[in-house]
Formats: sequence, C-alpha cells, structure tokens
Amino acid sequence: MAFLDNSGDIILDAVLTDTGRARLAKGDGTFRIAKFALGDDEIDYALYDKTNPSGSAYYDLQILQTPVLEAFTNNTATMSSKLISISRTNLLYLPSVVLNEVFGGSGDINSSSTARNQTAGVFYVAVDDDTNTALAGVSGVIDGVDGSGGNYVRVDQGLDTDEVSPQRELDSDLVETQYLIEMDTRLGEILSRDGNNLATISFIDDDQIASYYLSLGTDLKFVSEITNNKKISDGAPGQVIDGPRGTSIQFKVQASIDLNTSTFLFSQLGSTLGTPPSGATSGTYEYIDSNIRVTGVTTGNRIDIPVRFIKKTL
Amino acid sequence: MATVFKNLLSNDVATTRTLLNEAIPITGSIVSGTYADKNIKYYSHGMFESVYDYPYLSSSANHIFDITYGYSPTLSSSANPMNAKKLNIYNQMAQVLAGYDVNNNVRQFDRDGDLTGGDKLDSCVFLNYSRLLVKDEVKKGSYTLTLLSGSTLITLGDYGAQNDYRVNSPSGEYGVLYTSSTSLPGTGVGLIYYQAGVAVITSSVNIFPSASNFNSVYSITGTGDYVRNVWRNNLLNNTTELNSTIYFCRANNNEFNYSSNPTYLSGSKIRTKNVSSDPSVSYITSVGLYSADNELLAVAKISEPLKKDQTNELTLRVRLDY
Repeated sequence: MAFLDNSGDIILDAVLTDTGRARLAKGDGTFRIAKFALGDDEIDYALYDKTNPSGSAYYDLQILQTPVLEAFTNNTATMSSKLISISRTNLLYLPSVVLNEVFGGSGDINSSSTARNQTAGVFYVAVDDDTNTALAGVSGVIDGVDGSGGNYVRVDQGLDTDEVSPQRELDSDLVETQYLIEMDTRLGEILSRDGNNLATISFIDDDQIASYYLSLGTDLKFVSEITNNKKISDGAPGQVIDGPRGTSIQFKVQASIDLNTSTFLFSQLGSTLGTPPSGATSGTYEYIDSNIRVTGVTTGNRIDIPVRFIKKTL
Repeated sequence: MATVFKNLLSNDVATTRTLLNEAIPITGSIVSGTYADKNIKYYSHGMFESVYDYPYLSSSANHIFDITYGYSPTLSSSANPMNAKKLNIYNQMAQVLAGYDVNNNVRQFDRDGDLTGGDKLDSCVFLNYSRLLVKDEVKKGSYTLTLLSGSTLITLGDYGAQNDYRVNSPSGEYGVLYTSSTSLPGTGVGLIYYQAGVAVITSSVNIFPSASNFNSVYSITGTGDYVRNVWRNNLLNNTTELNSTIYFCRANNNEFNYSSNPTYLSGSKIRTKNVSSDPSVSYITSVGLYSADNELLAVAKISEPLKKDQTNELTLRVRLDY
C-alpha cells in the first residue's frame, strides 16, 4: 500500500473491506453499518516530545508529520489500535493487558503452567497424542488434543505500574469486562482452561479468522476477576500486574481436526523444524507459527500471543 | 465506561445520488486508419463488426462499439446479399428499442418518435456502444457524430435533447438526431437511445451517398466498413450514477481522547501526560465502519494525522459509493 498524498487538503480514502464486500454480495441484509471507531495504527506515541525546548507546539510535530498508508481491504489488517472514549479527562494511567507467565505451576490445577517455552518464545500446541508424548519433557506445551493437561494461556489486565498500589481499586470504568479472542480457525479452537468447554465462535470472517467474545459473569470458565491485591514485592505469587488489577482471561487451544489427522496444512502454511525442541524425543517435527490475538473490547488493549502448532511426523 | 465504538444514529447517515460525466471522443483515425483495421474484429456470421481502441489481439485493447445494418420487411428482397440477416438485425433492434404495438407486432423505428404516424426509418445503420464507454447512459444533448458525406462534412447531433427527448421506448429514453441545431421537427435522421447506448442512423442518401448499395450490394460488414471510412469524429458524454451513503462520524470533545495503541502507554502511564490534569491527546489516522456484531465492513484513511483532545470536536464525513 502506498502513502496518501499529504501535500494539500486533507483527503479521506475509503474502501469496503473484503468482509464488507462479502456481506454486500450475500444480499441478506447483513451489510449494515451500525457504528464506527477511530484508529491510530501508524502513530508512534514515543515520538511525543514533552521536553522539546522549542515549546509545546513542537511536542507532537513528528507525530503530525507521520505519513499515512492507504486503506487496507483486509479487515484483520487495519484498525488494530483504536481510540478510546472515557468521559474523564484526568486519567494519568490506563490499564494494559499482559501475558501472565508466572501464575501456574505446582500450586495450580493439574500442576499446569502458564509460561511459554522460554527457548522458542512460543506456546507449543501439540496437535496429536504422539506429539504430546514426544514433547512430555518440553516446557510451554499446550495439549491440543483434548486439553486434559499441559499448559494454558493467561492474560491479566490492570495498571501495570508500581507507582500505584494494587490495593487501590481499579476504577470501574477501566475494568475490562469483555475480551475478544481472534485465531485462525483452520488451526484450532479456544478451549476452557479445564479442557471441558469449547468457547462459542461469534463469527468467522472471510480469512478464516474466528472471533470469540467472552464476557465477565457470562463465560465463567474464561473470564474472572483478579482478587489478589497484594504487591508483587510483598509476595503476591502468580501476579504480573504491579498496580491495581482488573480481570483475567485464561484458555487453552484445541488443534483442528485437519492438524490432528493430516500434514496438509503443515506443508502449506508451515515448515519442518531443523532440530527437535529441547527435551523432545528425536524425530521429525512439522510446525505452523501463528498468533492468537486477545483484545479488551471495552478498553481496546490487545496482545498477540505467539503459538506454534507442532506435529511429530516421524 | 470506556468504549471504543460509537453508534451511528439516523441523523448521522445520509444518502445522495450523484451523476458523473466523462467526455468520450471517438476519432475517425481510431475507427479507420491508425491501426490498419487490426482493431476491427469480423465474425464468420457477418452480422456485425466490432471496433476496438487498439488491435484487438492485444490484451490492452478495449471494445468500444459495434456496427451493424438492417432493414425492415418492406425492403426485403431475396436478391439482396444477406437479406435474411439484415431483416433479423432490424427486427431484433426494433423489438428491443422500439417495442411492439398492441397486436404484438414489432414497431418500426420512427423518425420523430411519434408512434401514431409520420415517417418510419426503414433501413438503418446501428452503432451499439459498449458499456465501457456509455457506463450508465449517454448524457442527453452531448451526442454528435461527424461523417464525410460526399465531399462535405455533416454532423448529426441530439441538439437540444436535454430538454426534448422521448420516453415511449421499452429501452428507456431516446432523442432524435438532427443534422443541425436549427433543424425542424420531423426532419430527424436518426435516434439515440441513451440508456441502451445505441445510435440508429437512417441510411438516407443525404447522409450516406452510397446508401443505395447498402441493401443490394454490400454485406452487413461491407456497410460497416463504409460507415467507418466516412467516420470523422464522434463525441459523447457518458454518465455514471453514483449512489452514495455518507456517514458523519462525530467525535465530541470528551470522546476518543485516549488510545489503545501499544506505544500510548509506558508502564501503564500515558506518554503524552506528565500529570493527570494535562490534556488527553490522541491522533486519528483511520475511521472504521462496523456492523452491529463488530465486524469491520469499511475503512477510511486520513491523509495526515488529526489531533484530538478535549478542546476540539471533529466530524469525519465518510462517503461510500455504490
């Protein structure tokens, strides 16, 4: 995509997304624009120079000169970061969503861990029983067959700063009450942490990205409040948010039937590992790298969690 | 309550219809000459010939119009070359453009559009313009066709048609072609069907000195070649009808002043603030239009970032054309 011409008047370049066109083509009335959001995908707020000696007019000079790309038609590739409306203007801190890799362990159910594989920096998802067995000595493995054991993913939300005590309650309008999980439905589905419940898919777009909306109070097995309000330095095991804490979402991933039974997608979307993961039995392993995106629907914060679907083929 | 979406209310959405016009010139050098007829496609059935704007074997070539010829049954003669096909062409064009009478007989083309009487156009050259050129319709009053008639140039046009056209055709509106803007009613030499994109030109000897050969000597494509060779210029304006929906995306002073951009926070602290009373600043580069179930249906990008804080309000006007 090219940049938009920013030498003259402000212009607005509008396109239908691929999903929009698909819905329009259906002709069933599902193409109905009901709401809007504003985005700032290209903006790097680190360029905001609050100490510029030339004065406040120069604080955001570099930001305002940011060239803007043309609109993408891929609905998942645009509007990644949205602007948030909060009626109060006196907020100095906003909540973040953080991958919690210290929660699980010996004190957790099934002795499960929430940590990624630290060598590869990903969560492994073993797509069949043979792979599960072969990866028994590897850390950061999610059982992608039935979710009966192995690791799970946990994301916490709150003010991640040690300048505000976690004993202060997070303002109610900053508590995330609904999460959106997006993942490639060709690769797998979202499963509850105990492995007993598949999350309900809200819709699957034209790129096979499934969206799951999971809410506090409704999806009890996925979203819960964080009740621990101790400081990490005072011994709050399993916490990664330094300041006031909101909610957390936790889930596992169940590999798709295609990955479980065939190597077709591994050939098409993935590759073969040069060497087996440290701790795995020897053999040939095929893998597909992907991301699972977790977004707070209310506050707009998001995090991309790297996952590697892995299958032992020989 | 923090939120990233704002619902569009009924007064935030407006629909409009806009007509866009383009001027289309078709010069004689394109129609015959420049490409040594490599831009003319003939068919084995011989019922029409197609004119392209470039040698038609090239992938760059665009089909611009077809030429064909036909006459009514009153001129039928088995001695004429392609007699049946000339009849078929006339009847086909007449039934589509002129329609049927109350007895379901195909009407003949009428010289002035008054179907109750007057002269009929018994033998006609048909110029069928491609949709690529005409788009939704030919703009009324914009059509002129200049031909070499003997040694003089003659220009046919739908003079004054923007205020004087007919609506009694099954194929939409049409105007009468005259040889001069001062021509009197009843002296038309052809018809131009605006939505159909078809010009019907009588094969009168006043227009085509060799018209007498069209029936008895020339094949259909022979007539087409003759017309191309006397073609000097053709101008028309096409019309594209744009139906637009305009979404007024209004950001009030206390809305959209924070961001979920990963760079917006540093340790959960807002980068653009030193103390909580500093203004909340964000920068807009895109507008997303969503369905009720939060699917992104359309997106608009702004050519430069717009600053948003609690001291200003913005209305971004996003227009989607269909």
